[in-house]
Amino acid sequence: MDLLDLIDTIQSIADGVLFGTTYALLGIGFTLIFGVMHKINLSFAAASIGAAYASLLILSAVKAPAVVVFLMAAAAGGVLGGLVYLVGFKFIPLANPLATLMSTVGLLLLIDEIIVHTTAGVPLNYPALFSDVIVPIGPFNLRGDLMFVFVLGCVCMTVLLLLLYRTKLGLATRAVSQQPTASQLCGIGIMRVNILTFVITGVVGGIAGAMTGAAIGMLSPLLSLPLTVKGLIVTVIGGLGSIPGAIVAGLVVGGLENFFQFLRGVSERDLYIMLLLFAFLVFRPGGIFTVAAGRD
Amino acid sequence: MRKFNIAIAAVFAGAVLAAPSAAPAQDRTVKITGFGAKSGVVRVFGVNSEAALKAAAEEINKAGGVTLGDGAKAKFTIEFLDDRCNAEEGISVVRRIASSDAFVAVGPTCSNVAESLFGILQKKVGDGSDSGLQFPIIADVAAKGGLAKISEWSFRNVPSEFEMYKALFAWLKTQHPDLKTIYGGVEKDFAHSNATFGVMKAQAEANGMQIVGQSEWLLADTTFSTQIRDMKRANPDIVAISAHPFTTCGALKEMERQGVKPKLLIGLTSSSSIETLQGCAKQAEGIIIPTSFAPVTPEAKKAADNVAKFGGSADLHSAAAYEIMFILKDVIEKQKIMAKPDTVKADREKMRAGLAALKETNGLLGKVGRTADREAIKPFLYVHAKGGSWQVLYKPSS
Amino acid sequence: MDFYLGLIQIIGVHTLLGLSAYCVLLTGQVSLAQAGFFAIGAYVAGMLTVLLHWPLVLALIVSAILGGAMACAVGFPALRVKGLMLVVATAAFGEAVRLFFFNFTYQVQSGAILLGPHGGEGFRQIRYFPEHGWGTLDVVLFIWTIVVLVMAMLWWMDRSRVGAVLRAVGEDELAAQSTGINITAVKVSAMTIGGIIAGIGGGIFAHYTTHIEHIQFGIVLATFAIAYPILGGLSNVFGTLLAVIFIQGLLIEGLRFLGDWRNLLFGGLIVLAMNIRPRGLLDAGVLMTLKRLVSRNGERKGA
Repeated sequence: MDLLDLIDTIQSIADGVLFGTTYALLGIGFTLIFGVMHKINLSFAAASIGAAYASLLILSAVKAPAVVVFLMAAAAGGVLGGLVYLVGFKFIPLANPLATLMSTVGLLLLIDEIIVHTTAGVPLNYPALFSDVIVPIGPFNLRGDLMFVFVLGCVCMTVLLLLLYRTKLGLATRAVSQQPTASQLCGIGIMRVNILTFVITGVVGGIAGAMTGAAIGMLSPLLSLPLTVKGLIVTVIGGLGSIPGAIVAGLVVGGLENFFQFLRGVSERDLYIMLLLFAFLVFRPGGIFTVAAGRD
Repeated sequence: MRKFNIAIAAVFAGAVLAAPSAAPAQDRTVKITGFGAKSGVVRVFGVNSEAALKAAAEEINKAGGVTLGDGAKAKFTIEFLDDRCNAEEGISVVRRIASSDAFVAVGPTCSNVAESLFGILQKKVGDGSDSGLQFPIIADVAAKGGLAKISEWSFRNVPSEFEMYKALFAWLKTQHPDLKTIYGGVEKDFAHSNATFGVMKAQAEANGMQIVGQSEWLLADTTFSTQIRDMKRANPDIVAISAHPFTTCGALKEMERQGVKPKLLIGLTSSSSIETLQGCAKQAEGIIIPTSFAPVTPEAKKAADNVAKFGGSADLHSAAAYEIMFILKDVIEKQKIMAKPDTVKADREKMRAGLAALKETNGLLGKVGRTADREAIKPFLYVHAKGGSWQVLYKPSS
Repeated sequence: MDFYLGLIQIIGVHTLLGLSAYCVLLTGQVSLAQAGFFAIGAYVAGMLTVLLHWPLVLALIVSAILGGAMACAVGFPALRVKGLMLVVATAAFGEAVRLFFFNFTYQVQSGAILLGPHGGEGFRQIRYFPEHGWGTLDVVLFIWTIVVLVMAMLWWMDRSRVGAVLRAVGEDELAAQSTGINITAVKVSAMTIGGIIAGIGGGIFAHYTTHIEHIQFGIVLATFAIAYPILGGLSNVFGTLLAVIFIQGLLIEGLRFLGDWRNLLFGGLIVLAMNIRPRGLLDAGVLMTLKRLVSRNGERKGA
């Protein structure tokens, strides 16, 4: 391996790690819902992409700057999050994890198909911030828009952690996630906490959807399934319920993806990633950020 | 709750039983059933095909309709069924059509559905030991090379990408003799783009160009930095991308980011659609794509307008569907197809024989040749993206 | 008529796919690897009949054995984990299988054409049924003989001690373990049985679609595999069958008259069904009602 290859390898990994920030944002959403309700919301990535699409509707009506579009995506994500809770979770008894698994699969298909019907499945251009900024560091180039996403991801994490550990709502959320019955006895409205959790994760999802759209430069319904899979992978690698874990895992997954792409080419890239993932989960089921003993 | 369940059960039973409503066998209408993907990411293809079939049917009906075998005039009606780009569903759809009085079906959109469908058809006509379905299908979109040779009941009116890229590279050699090196990008997990990439490579080499490398990505990939960096290192004169609009745009955007500016860009036939321009008009500027449709002749212009009236857009795929209606009209008249419920079997055989006997058909851009393995050789031209729309670059006189 | 027979074929094969996930779900595990075993069955059976001209039944037996063996091999490490971890781990395995076939090319010259799997372009011309003169009805009878056998076997298993053990592990692992049940053995056996059934299902799938390619065996198929038993309810094998009829018969083919609305309703109706019947279409309550109806009729006949 000569110097040029080494530089390329590092650059590839760096690009992947930066792109991994969008996976990290998605992972945060998945992990938050899992942390609070101990349930999987498989429609989360689809709803995030849906929120980004919804923000494009605004853009088609009035010419707005990218920041406004992103904010609209976040708002739409919050609304969608609430709707997902009402339709997919509220009326299904807590004791039936399989039923909510299935209802969110149904929602995933539904959201996807709504997008397809309004856009005929055609990819749409999505605005970006700092997309023409390339930061040169030595022989390497870093994408400005992705560094912005990274900063945004860190901000989201900080806000969420503050929200969880410094506010009454956060206290209630953690109480519900640990002991639903006991927290109800203490006067916490479980419903209200659950809805709020979904709305907040929906907002994160909306931001994630918008950032994914901005990083790719396009939106397509093709994205929702791969992003669902990536989001789940990031969640489990980071350790279920761990927000910092999700961020680290997102970056790791992004970096590894590009690393194998560089080494083995595209046909075998995912094969190795999947085998690696399988091995990792089986032999270190707790993920990066928890002790290996926790097997759930 | 129980009432509700009973109601659901009733609806369920009713829906399943009433499913394939037998076509009303009126002498004066001939129903042509098209099928293809109208859901999922490829929905736009189905929407366009349906609009094209309807537009062509209206055009024919306005001119008096089609003359059946017994001399009666009939009008075309169109039905379009969705197969969700799924092989099993495609088989169901065709069995449903074949259970009615239909004597031909037009479709499908996806090559993987076509593979399965053509596989369940009888391989050789008159082979009693082969229990395959005996029903003619003519494909408008499914573009993977060599599909129609699977069965003698399968036909296609799909442009031959081999001929198109062969001519394109030969033309490039005369126009840009200074461009010597070429770099390829391919969407690896899609049969159509993958196969076409092989054609591009072979033709580039045949015309004395040097292939300096290739990058691969997958249908739903979102990052292209590694692939494009390799492209940048190769510093090619020409970049040829064999991918569908979503990743074509993704790759083009990454090329812009990394400042890769080849002297010439070549794209995949399927990307010469409105999708690419919606996704990345700015980055796609100048990309050259061979296509079998552009509104350059009076007929083609009229077809494009008609298709737009039915809510679709005319591109190389839906134009094929448009032409198919006229082909069917000619075959019905030439073969004296009766289109009566009691002549279904004979009509299907006549339709197959008629389609197989075609040596030439009328296309929107001129005469379309037919090959022995039931494929079309269509006239084509080269378009390039310019100022947010597709413009004709050159029309070879064939 | 041909159309209904074709639909019944599809329902049969998807029932096998659903039942393969049903076995695993009984032990409380959600496995997204079933599509992987299905793919193994499809490719193996297809290669045996097309390239080696084996009779179909023998090819299916080999598919079943390989599907089961692979499931057993995966089961040992995978079933150490539970819940979401298992879902993602098995999904990763399923994807790895799919990607293996994406990279797998083994073609043999036969006359003018090449036969056999060809990487991303798929494996075409698996025409055992038409080449051997099997009509649509013959294929239906063949498929349903297998489906009925599998269902009968699972029904019997469910009723015997084996079923009780599986369900005990599914309900409460700790309690089951404390009564002396070797839960790893139970889970791996369930996984193996599931792999065998998926292998058979895949083998048939390859033959009635005549063309297979890696994209067909992705996450979507794996999700459908678990959707059938969950939607149908885990109380017995008929729930899975009912759910397959609900999805393949009603949602996909039955609602065709609704045109474009069909696709929108597809996801929506699954959500609705889970909301009104969270324990599946055929849950314990419905079964009780059915039993009561049957016994009442029986009494009337007696009187």
